Amino acid sequence: MSWRNNSKRELWLAWYSMIAFYNIFVIVFFVLTHAQPPPYPYWSDAQVVFWFSHNRGGLLTGFAIMFALAGLTLPANALIAYSIRRMSVSRAFAYSYLVIYSLAALPGMLLLCVVLSVGAMRPDRDPVLIHWLYDFAFLSYVGTMGIFLIGSLVWMLAILLDKNRVLPKWFGYLNLCNALTEVVVSPAWIFHRGVLDWNGLISWWLNMVVFGIYTSAFIMLLRNMIQREDFGDGPLPTHQLAGTAR
Amino acid sequence: MTDNAGEGKRDRAIPGQPDMWVLVLFEALVFTAYFAVYLYHRSADSELFLRSQAQLRPLFGTLDTLLLLTSSLFMLRCAQTARAGAHRTAMTSAYITAFLGVAFLISKITEWIMLVRGGHGFSSNDFFMYYFFLTGIHLLHLLIGFIAIGVIVYQLRGPARRSQELVETCAVYWHTVDLLWVLIFSLLYVVR
Repeated sequence: MSWRNNSKRELWLAWYSMIAFYNIFVIVFFVLTHAQPPPYPYWSDAQVVFWFSHNRGGLLTGFAIMFALAGLTLPANALIAYSIRRMSVSRAFAYSYLVIYSLAALPGMLLLCVVLSVGAMRPDRDPVLIHWLYDFAFLSYVGTMGIFLIGSLVWMLAILLDKNRVLPKWFGYLNLCNALTEVVVSPAWIFHRGVLDWNGLISWWLNMVVFGIYTSAFIMLLRNMIQREDFGDGPLPTHQLAGTAR
Repeated sequence: MTDNAGEGKRDRAIPGQPDMWVLVLFEALVFTAYFAVYLYHRSADSELFLRSQAQLRPLFGTLDTLLLLTSSLFMLRCAQTARAGAHRTAMTSAYITAFLGVAFLISKITEWIMLVRGGHGFSSNDFFMYYFFLTGIHLLHLLIGFIAIGVIVYQLRGPARRSQELVETCAVYWHTVDLLWVLIFSLLYVVR
């Protein structure tokens, strides 16, 4: 079936946008800006200033890309909201998820991008202020996961109540595991060192493993959902529909 | 013949939704990682950990363990009696399970308050950081367990919606909370 006649092309567009976003996210945060894994929270003013000056090019290039392409999160969130709308549950779940995750982009990503960009663009400022920006950026980024927690729980509840078998129940429970790891990052506000600080073994590294598994799972499950989508309102077919593959 | 075959198939099946076992295994892996990190740091500074461990009251840990083990027993009874069709008895067992869970909650919060008043808070030292973190994250699992008990009671109250599978699914979750506590108790209170 040609792309022009493929009734699922909008869904595939959203899915590929999601893939593109996560790839860009990894390149920007892990490779260009070195904002992930986060640098140490206990650094002195001088070390923080050095970090900004050392990474200046990467920070400005990476976050310029992010500001331009952050909108790619929207089709990704919309596709997840679509999965909830396809379920047999109230539309309120999809609307709640969409609103929560649209707002989550601010503390969960954009605030860090803005604040670190400010630090990189004003190297002549007082090191104390630069250090304040550094703390603000990483605490807002790592420590404000409550909004993601609620979003995961909304999706979990929708999956567990759904009778249309849009997504498997095990993924509903995996949402709970992901939500619980969002709680584990909150001690980052208290600790400057150790396993619970903002780049700690438990609060960041272990959580990143869980988040990676969770994200990989939902990317594959949403792909599977699109393949099975029949545009009806009853249970989703178990297997991929003939003639509707990409 | 068909019924027997069906029953035989059911007997071989794992209790509850197989999906719940994904959560059980996943949480077991996550907690194993927590425990591994704890033991690694404990071995690096065993003197501090032993000294701090001595500040805990073993009575609380033992009481908490007994409360949760007994609650698991009643949860098991709840699932068994529900399967046998004795739904009122099952509901009573679910209520007792919840009561024991509340008793655990009160005991744990009391212990926390006593420790904090004694100058041993979350950020006092590495041992108490792990202590409050592990007991805190476990308590969060327990609170979710109350929702699971609520689901059981909701299922058992309505004859039209009774689902043995859901009752067993929630029971599996409760037993997981119990199992995690036994491991936390061993690591924080017992291991020297």
